Amino acid sequence: MTPMSASGLPRIARVRRLGRLLNIGVPYLWIGLFFLLPFVIVLRIGIAEPALAQPPYTALWQWVDSGLLEIRISLQNFSLVLEDDLYLAALLGSLQVASVCTLLCLVIGYPMAYAIATAPVRWRVPLLLLVVLPFWTSFLIRVYAWIGILKSNGLLNNFLIWLGLIDEPLQILHTQLAVYIGVVYAYLPFMILPLYANLTRLDRGLLEAAADLGCRPLRAFRKITLPLSLPGIVAGSMLVFIPVVGEFVIPDLLGGPESLMIGKVLWMEFFSNKDWPLAAALATLLLALLLVPFVLMQRLEQRLQSDDDAARP
Amino acid sequence: MSTDTSPRQRSLEPWQDPRASPYVRIERVTKQFGDVYAVDDVSLDIFKGEFFSLLGSSGCGKSTLLRLLAGLERPTAGRIYIDGADVTDVPPYARPVNMMFQSYALFPHMNVEQNVGFGLKQAPFGERMPRRERAERVDEMLALLRIGELRKRRPDQLSGGQRQRAALARSLAKHPKLLLLDEPLGALDKRLRENTQFELVNLQERLGITFVTVTHDQEEAMTMSSRIAVMDAGQIMQVDTPTAIYEYPNCRLVAEFIGSVNLFEGKVVAVDGDQVLVESRLGTSMRMRSLHPFALGTPVAVAVRPEKMRLAEGGGGDGVNRLEGVVEDIAYLGDVSIYRVRVAPEQLVEMTLTNIQPRTEQALTWEQPVVMEWSPTSGVVLTE
Repeated sequence: MTPMSASGLPRIARVRRLGRLLNIGVPYLWIGLFFLLPFVIVLRIGIAEPALAQPPYTALWQWVDSGLLEIRISLQNFSLVLEDDLYLAALLGSLQVASVCTLLCLVIGYPMAYAIATAPVRWRVPLLLLVVLPFWTSFLIRVYAWIGILKSNGLLNNFLIWLGLIDEPLQILHTQLAVYIGVVYAYLPFMILPLYANLTRLDRGLLEAAADLGCRPLRAFRKITLPLSLPGIVAGSMLVFIPVVGEFVIPDLLGGPESLMIGKVLWMEFFSNKDWPLAAALATLLLALLLVPFVLMQRLEQRLQSDDDAARP
Repeated sequence: MSTDTSPRQRSLEPWQDPRASPYVRIERVTKQFGDVYAVDDVSLDIFKGEFFSLLGSSGCGKSTLLRLLAGLERPTAGRIYIDGADVTDVPPYARPVNMMFQSYALFPHMNVEQNVGFGLKQAPFGERMPRRERAERVDEMLALLRIGELRKRRPDQLSGGQRQRAALARSLAKHPKLLLLDEPLGALDKRLRENTQFELVNLQERLGITFVTVTHDQEEAMTMSSRIAVMDAGQIMQVDTPTAIYEYPNCRLVAEFIGSVNLFEGKVVAVDGDQVLVESRLGTSMRMRSLHPFALGTPVAVAVRPEKMRLAEGGGGDGVNRLEGVVEDIAYLGDVSIYRVRVAPEQLVEMTLTNIQPRTEQALTWEQPVVMEWSPTSGVVLTE
């Protein structure tokens, strides 16, 4: 018999419940403390009004003399963000950069991940190390390095001139092209790693089975490898798309005046204009917007699965 | 080959007919992985309609030989012919062969129906089977293996037995002339395995397919095969019918691999026609029939199966093919009992007796001295 405690529950069951609570509790606590709480603070700033104070926004509530509690909520920031074309343009610009870069990362990263996953085992770790090697250097410094490469008398232009391909330097730095180059460079590992993790798990026996059933290699890739690596594609795309939408450093350092991205605008509102409430409202809306592709992709994944179930032979 | 040692003389089987041309011809094939010879200079003919089994312990090269037939491996040396055509350099997708994989290798993102129909959709557009026919063929296969109600399930929603049926249906869907089965029943429990064995043989007879199967399970091979090739270390030790392999193994390895066997080492002391007199190390004489000639003094082993042993009645005889011992162990299996009899400090002999009487009334008990005997035709004489 299990010894019974005062509460009537067997002790082992109680210990187990406590263990389970701890187990689930720790990540919840983490998310609550470092994600939810900051978000609530940002939201709270978003519904305040700018003020010449320290911090530069109005209090959410205050005691009025008569003992009344005055609560002030302002939705003005949100309506401003939604009305002003600047923010919409910046947002669309961000989405465009993020979409194009995600696609480029996928096109470049998939063959790389595939090659690493199918390389002889002793080659895989060194190859993966090469992929993550740039992380040894600070992100900011690596972006600065691109300035040195892309500027008018930089490495790339000098090299092209030396080759005789061009006569005078190309203006690459401070253009949208530089932003694309920088983003694809910086985010490629985030596409490769989940794809690699997915592709190494792929059972080679399935490709043998496909070949045995008369399926040529290219078609086997399309019918077996590609659909089975879809979770890796989705994971990699989200890891690239979502942070790139909010990317600030790369468009700021490499981009020009026309590379309008929401992250840059946010930074400007926050630090240059000192309009914290507006910036907070912008950040809140951005987060809400980024949830949309997240939910969509999850839906798509689910639908692809059930579609397969219903598909004809 | 020792086919001629078979005592049965019936109509010629294809492998006995010198005019028959083999459906599959493996000609001096070698497959090397680094320094390892997985398949070592193997030649083998397999005929149309056969149920051919490659039998051997793990790592003996049987699976590699099967993969060579499927085209999943290229031989290091030698040629492979299927239906008269040299397919040595033909890639797997262009061979008229289908394989059922040991792991089943069902496509996890497709349901049973799509898995089974996959092979039918791979031909180039012009030669592809029309959609209606494809659907009919899939239905036919699902019905054949009685998995029609599972057609919309994915592999991970199937039990082991159902998966195996789906894999078999997929490999049969293209109506291959040659079907390769890699440990087809390995993952199944005993009961399901026995049922499936008979089903496979039925299928084979109904569809007229040539089966080549790989197994490490000798019972499975015995039940299903028209012929068995016993392999060891990349080489084929013996190719023969199950009966011949069991009754007339050509070497110790084959004798020990199939069923249990008592081996008595000794040397040839007299030869009289087809009778060989062997003086065993136990000090007794054994007279056996042998179709192979032996020189006097040749070290040999006399192999006698446990069920060929019987209790000697009365004293009598000249002591030839007789062994005295003490019952040390009894394993009661219901239909039969296996007795382990110690005949020498270092040798136990197994004897299987049918339980004609209920167990309680059986004559033999532990520690009982017994005399066992066997007849000259009940075993074989093997060289090392």
